[in-house]
Amino acid sequence: MGTSDAEIVRRVRDGDTAAFAVLVARYRDRLGRYAMQMLGDREDAEEALQDAFVRAYRSLARFDDRERFGPWLFAILVNRCRTTGRRTTRRHQIFVRDEASLERAPAPAAPEWDDTVRWALERLAPGMREAFLLKHVEDLDYDEISRLTGAGVSALKMRVKRACEQLRVLLTEVERV
Amino acid sequence: MFERDDDVLERMIERLREPVEMDPTLDARVMTRVSAPPIRDSRLAAAWDWLRRPRDFSLTPLSALAAAAVLAGLALWLGSRVANRASTLARPDTAVVQFVFVAQGATSVALVGDFNDWDATTTPMHPARQGGLWSVALPLPPGRHRYAFLINGWLWLSDPTAPRALDDFGTPSSVVTVGG
Repeated sequence: MGTSDAEIVRRVRDGDTAAFAVLVARYRDRLGRYAMQMLGDREDAEEALQDAFVRAYRSLARFDDRERFGPWLFAILVNRCRTTGRRTTRRHQIFVRDEASLERAPAPAAPEWDDTVRWALERLAPGMREAFLLKHVEDLDYDEISRLTGAGVSALKMRVKRACEQLRVLLTEVERV
Repeated sequence: MFERDDDVLERMIERLREPVEMDPTLDARVMTRVSAPPIRDSRLAAAWDWLRRPRDFSLTPLSALAAAAVLAGLALWLGSRVANRASTLARPDTAVVQFVFVAQGATSVALVGDFNDWDATTTPMHPARQGGLWSVALPLPPGRHRYAFLINGWLWLSDPTAPRALDDFGTPSSVVTVGG
């Protein structure tokens, strides 16, 4: 078994900056998956992920030892994805004036399953996508999601339910093509 | 977890749960950023050393006059910059808005909003000596601005004293209206 997160955090706090690389390597892919799925773009995901690690490092002095490092880091990433997502949305709003045409965007013709998954996920509103991914992909319970997002448990349940309903319709539509 | 007709949704979730491989060079980029000494600090330290280091130099009357002229020019330029800034703040189409938030025990509070592209580094708030009070004032153009407070770099909270608005994430943010 490798060195625990807590031990590495202690070493970094004691001045061993290089030890932080172990945490980056340990969490890179797991957190990267969430960022990729949330933002739908590899470049944006890498930017959010990089920022999250750097912010975590700079905040390490304030990290409470009683907390677990993984969820703490995840909370920072969720916030970075929100910030990046807002910027991206604004960027899209500048280039795509006709939002109604986006709503009518047809399902990809004879798509690969990966394309379908990405297409359906992109159709969800960011808040629903976030709740859906945290619940069903990251497998967090509602209390954890509530702590991460600041949203109430009942609002989150509603968001996840609506996301599932919407995805079911979208995926079924593509299956029929 | 799902009903029988949710096969398609379960397949999607299975696909989404598969591991994703990120670019391993990202590690090096992160480590470069965290290992770099804070530029501002090192520059300040270098400037401070330079100022403290004693020097002997001689000056002719002509070069003393030239130096005095340069200093006078610099003072005039700085004066005009301050005047310009004051006139910007006083422009009739902007209003200086004071944002205040109580966050006992917080180590940092930043004001984020559509006016700073929701960037947590642009508008840090300043703590009062006691009471957990954080504040910042900034000029805003007329219109409706959405904002929130970012506590300790990750906790997102709305302003309890202002009207609320929900953003795309259902996250509460607040609204301030300037003018009109």
